[in-house]
Amino acid sequence: MTTPRRADGTGDVTLPAGAEEVAGTVPDGWRRLERRSHAVAAAYSLAVATPVAVAIVRGMTGAGVAVELIVAACAGAALLILAGAVVYDVLRWRATEYRVTGERVELRSGVVQRRHRSVPRERVRTADVTADPVRRVLGLAVLKIGTGEHAGEGASELSLDPISRREAERLRALLLHAPDRAPGAARPDAARSPGTAYSADGASSPAGPGTVPIASLAWGWIRLAPLTVWSFVGGGALLGVAYKALDVVGVDLFQDVLDPDRFEGVWRGLAAWPPWLLITLGVLANLLVGVAGALLMFVESWWRYRLDREPGGTLLLRRGLLTKRSVTLAESRLRGVQIAEPLLLRLGGGARVTAVATGLREAGAGESESADALTPPVPLAEAHRIAREISPPGVPGPGALPGEGGLRGHPVAARRRRARWAWPVAGAAGAVVLGVHASGAFGLDRLLSAGTARWAAAGVAVAVLLAGWGLAAVAYRSLGHGLTSRHLLARSGAVVRRTTALDRTGIIGWKIEQSVFQRRAGLMTVRATTAAGRGVYSVLDAAPADALALADRAVPGLLGPLLPEQATDEPGGYGAGTSRISCEPHGHQTRPGRNAPPASSRWSST
Amino acid sequence: MEPRPPRNLPDPRAVGWWTVHCALLGVPAAGGAAVAYVTLTDRPLWLGLLVAAFAVLCLALVVVVPRAYYRMSRWEVTEDAVYTRSGWIVRTWRIAPMSRIQTVDTARGPVQRLFGLSDVTVTTASAAGPVKIEALDHHLAAELAERLTLITQATPGDAT
Repeated sequence: MTTPRRADGTGDVTLPAGAEEVAGTVPDGWRRLERRSHAVAAAYSLAVATPVAVAIVRGMTGAGVAVELIVAACAGAALLILAGAVVYDVLRWRATEYRVTGERVELRSGVVQRRHRSVPRERVRTADVTADPVRRVLGLAVLKIGTGEHAGEGASELSLDPISRREAERLRALLLHAPDRAPGAARPDAARSPGTAYSADGASSPAGPGTVPIASLAWGWIRLAPLTVWSFVGGGALLGVAYKALDVVGVDLFQDVLDPDRFEGVWRGLAAWPPWLLITLGVLANLLVGVAGALLMFVESWWRYRLDREPGGTLLLRRGLLTKRSVTLAESRLRGVQIAEPLLLRLGGGARVTAVATGLREAGAGESESADALTPPVPLAEAHRIAREISPPGVPGPGALPGEGGLRGHPVAARRRRARWAWPVAGAAGAVVLGVHASGAFGLDRLLSAGTARWAAAGVAVAVLLAGWGLAAVAYRSLGHGLTSRHLLARSGAVVRRTTALDRTGIIGWKIEQSVFQRRAGLMTVRATTAAGRGVYSVLDAAPADALALADRAVPGLLGPLLPEQATDEPGGYGAGTSRISCEPHGHQTRPGRNAPPASSRWSST
Repeated sequence: MEPRPPRNLPDPRAVGWWTVHCALLGVPAAGGAAVAYVTLTDRPLWLGLLVAAFAVLCLALVVVVPRAYYRMSRWEVTEDAVYTRSGWIVRTWRIAPMSRIQTVDTARGPVQRLFGLSDVTVTTASAAGPVKIEALDHHLAAELAERLTLITQATPGDAT
């Protein structure tokens, strides 16, 4: 048992004599990482050595150095880098040890600064097994163990990089499958059936007995893959990345590769075309590259996507074509589920499901998906089904009424508040146009006369204003909150609309905010704090009485004693403030522990 | 409608401390503007008036803000929860149930020490930030922290 104080930090841990053996671990057995790690380091050192060699070749040929010397220099540099990488990896390997005892997971690491981390096993929330192509070839994987710790000092996870896939699988099962709930599940080696397609090269085991599938990839979903911003900026972004990468080795993409002199004929030919055609073609090419990129990324990330519920009380997500990934989540630590609908995806009728859980990181560098993503972009109905399966009753669908677990709208003042932002932004946009014209940047002063520029500025300002109002209307329509037997529901967001179903038992406090402006408009923001996910989920700009009643009912007995004895809100006034979606007919419950007036008299108007 | 205010005010010395705090910011700002006006411009009258107005505003804020903030800051520790209200422009009520508290810290800055004040910070497992009871008498803060620690140690679990 942990005390509420952080008793689980780094420290001396004496193992109790005769600590129980769990699933084949020898107590007190420190293990090392796989030695094949050095091969991985060597392979990755080539990624550094190659551009260095290219740079050397370029530099030396320019200076007229003999070919033998150039080759020797390249080989020397490559060897040096390789040796450096391998030596460092050997040191790292020697410094890193881990063990799993009956109660704790311990990791010693650090070449220069030694570190000993020790985490109680009951704090282990997630296991993330990743195998990139290099490690897969060598039969290795990286295991990241997510803990309930919040990044107090450094990472909140223990990373074992690399261990064998077998060992990764063993640890994953050992740490996350509670032995009392499913005795068999703690021994995956026994349950493993060799030769299954997935386990042949996968970073995870085949589905054992008792595994319940929740979702698996349907190739029809790929039509939703291009519905990201990347489809529109993808081509340009790729060009930028290529330019940057070549720049590192000393090649200028535009001067050296697409040499104006070499391709003079091409440039001249293009210059003869009408500008509108060139622009159209450019945009199309950009779109084509972007869409192709989005599709490739989808295939790479979500190939053989499966989401299963394992008998040990965990959710297991597997995916990936080249880099294989499996994420295991302890269901008992799941604190809810979220449906995210980015604007483009929403227009295409799609959504994604993410987990509200502790121990999952945000997407790190070089990762295409954040760790809490439970699905690729899927059709909305499918997203709702998956959310319901994971955390019943899930997130209410578009048609659900407030009384039936649906969402309740917010006062119109919230829309006015959002629309008001359009004014300063529109004014700024107009001013920028005038400023650019006055300064003569981009040749705008030659293109437009002073009078036309004024009209253009006004036009831009009006366009921005209208767009702002549109966005405000969308943002307002997104606002909503509700309560089910298990969840607190909150929805908001214009560009990315997020609907969160947060477990009421996972709420560990409230933060209620009211700015001067909100006060005048009769609005209030209530934020539920939790250990999981982003740490805080908010009901933005609700009617104060509504917001406080919601918080009170979500966690009975916490906020109730702090609410005024005599409710000051007028039922009529409250009802008038909540537009579009009618109030809950059955009304709010009486708060426990205080003399609230009968619920019906306060809430049943409208 | 809003939650009722927590029962306790910060220590009255807090006004002094916050005044020093604001003065550390406001006085250099006003002084800087005045110095810049004298040394860097050819001292037109309109700019002089503007700078004077700015300086007066800064100094007025140094006087007003701590008092307004003091009026808004309240705290209360009940059997079941720690409850605070703070903020002037954005009024914020925070509540953390006793059973979810992970750590209790007291902290005193160098200026705070001159005034004999301490802050008590109560953290839960959420990344959303701690509940902070600001500017208590030093002895009161130590007592409170001890009491909170005892209570939270008696309640198991922290809902992570």
